[in-house]
Amino acid sequence: MYERILKKNKHKNITAITVIVIAVFFLALISLFVGSSNMTPEEAIETLLFRSNAADTRIIWNIRIPRIIAAILAGAGLSVSGLIMQTVLNNPMASPSTLGVSNAAVFGANLSIIAFAGGFLNVGNNIQNYSSAANPYATSLVAFVFSVVSILLILGICRIKSYQPGIVVLAGIAVGSIWTAATTILQFFATDVGISAAVIWNFGDLGRATYKTDLIMAVIVLAGLVLFTIFSWRFNALLSGDNVAKSVGINVNLLRFVSMLVASMITAVCVSFLGIIGFIGIIGPHITKKLLGQDHRVTIPVSAFMGSFILLAADTFSRTLGKGSALPVGAITSLLGAPFFLFIIFSRRRD
Amino acid sequence: MIEVRNLAFRYKNRGDYVLKDINFSMGPGEIVILLGKNGAGKTTLFKNILGIEKPSFGEILFDNREMSRLGMAERARYIGYVPQNIQYGSLTVYDSIMIGRMAHFGYRVSETDGEIVDSVIRQMQLEDLADKNVDELSGGERQKIAIARAIAGEPKMLIFDEPTGNLDISNELLILKEAKRLARDLNISILTSLHDLNQALDLGDRFLFLKDGRIIYDITREQITTKVINDTFDAQVRILDIDGEIIIKGGKI
Repeated sequence: MYERILKKNKHKNITAITVIVIAVFFLALISLFVGSSNMTPEEAIETLLFRSNAADTRIIWNIRIPRIIAAILAGAGLSVSGLIMQTVLNNPMASPSTLGVSNAAVFGANLSIIAFAGGFLNVGNNIQNYSSAANPYATSLVAFVFSVVSILLILGICRIKSYQPGIVVLAGIAVGSIWTAATTILQFFATDVGISAAVIWNFGDLGRATYKTDLIMAVIVLAGLVLFTIFSWRFNALLSGDNVAKSVGINVNLLRFVSMLVASMITAVCVSFLGIIGFIGIIGPHITKKLLGQDHRVTIPVSAFMGSFILLAADTFSRTLGKGSALPVGAITSLLGAPFFLFIIFSRRRD
Repeated sequence: MIEVRNLAFRYKNRGDYVLKDINFSMGPGEIVILLGKNGAGKTTLFKNILGIEKPSFGEILFDNREMSRLGMAERARYIGYVPQNIQYGSLTVYDSIMIGRMAHFGYRVSETDGEIVDSVIRQMQLEDLADKNVDELSGGERQKIAIARAIAGEPKMLIFDEPTGNLDISNELLILKEAKRLARDLNISILTSLHDLNQALDLGDRFLFLKDGRIIYDITREQITTKVINDTFDAQVRILDIDGEIIIKGGKI
């Protein structure tokens, strides 16, 4: 008798996923035609089919495509991490950065740029030192290492005390502010060039993406997505509160620990490669939940693609704005995202 | 079938014992009502039996099997839980009830799970609500869904924590009737706390009076006297016997 309901829900879910996937696909196509070189769409298509000159080929295949892939991956990763953090911490304001991941990554990157890449420990105010030492992997690696240290620190503290959402959020705020303070002190001692290099790193920028970084992000984001999808019913149960989740046999502490660890790792890898990209982890899941409710079997994939769509849209927009150089996409996501988000919140029907 | 032996509990194994020397047992289909003041330890006792908290001392046996040796999912298959404060995500009624089967299916719903949820929905006459979102329901309906969720796990025992706490009188009676039906028709043992003593008398087969973490009386309806109630609640009530029906005056605590 209720097969009808199952079928109806399944139909609704598949439709939702299909629509958002198609939307992302077309936006990616449009994004391919946008940029500072005055390439026409026809030329871009020619280039895609390897029938164009070397310069265009380089622009499309080495610059735009890795950048679009990065937007899709990072958008999906940040958005789904936000969704999971909100569920496991039972807090709509939780985000991928709740555990202080971004603050730690910023500190790591600043440390790498200011202290190791020709800052005060080295030879001083010489731009050459920065560019020569600007091995993107070194900075990203240090950023990533500090993110992971921060995650483990907070989860360690919570293991001693408890994994109650309130405690986790407070621990995240406290540890995050330590990293911020440490960054400030570091910047105080930095040279002019060092500080500007560090600040520029902080701006989220998809232009840093290469196929290599995309591949690393893809592995972590996809692994996380698969794991979260497997846990869908567990997250649904957690929405009814810890006690009910425990009463149906879920090890709530373990679920919370694993989910926070994986969500934070996804965030860490995205932030370490691309810099700070704010707000996707809040806005992506909230739009999804508003449209589709909270069944994680559908909100996990849809939030992911919703995040891809938003970040890709913001990046495409930023590339049309800046003449010659794209505006930092991290600023665009917050600048346009926040008002939109307010609109969403104030137009809520229930709650 | 469930037996609690020498149970004692304190939070994080520190401070004072919240539960002391708890001993009782329950048979299939029996309705046992836990009565006591706020803070007497009712919810804590429920959480110990459910495995949400770990007893500091003593043991809890299901069908002669020590509970702490059972895995979480296995234990969950024995007991269903209807909490005091009911909270749901924004899910359909159908999916919310399905959560009660998680101890059986784990990660992926099977056809059997669907059939059982179907039969629970029919049994509790929730057909019209099945594909609604729980957000849209009234308090009484949400309470019914919580019960449906608990029995979807096919438990041998149900724990109701203040099932009528936030309901109006018609919904209260509905829930109590449902509890009786479950015990009678499905032979499920029910352990519940209730604020209203008259409702408690009406529903229960046996009564545990809890005071400061101890069971001070474990008695049947006929054995309840003013002394029992006044001892437990530090109150002054009168018991009236009107045409064989016992009514407690001033009995709402």
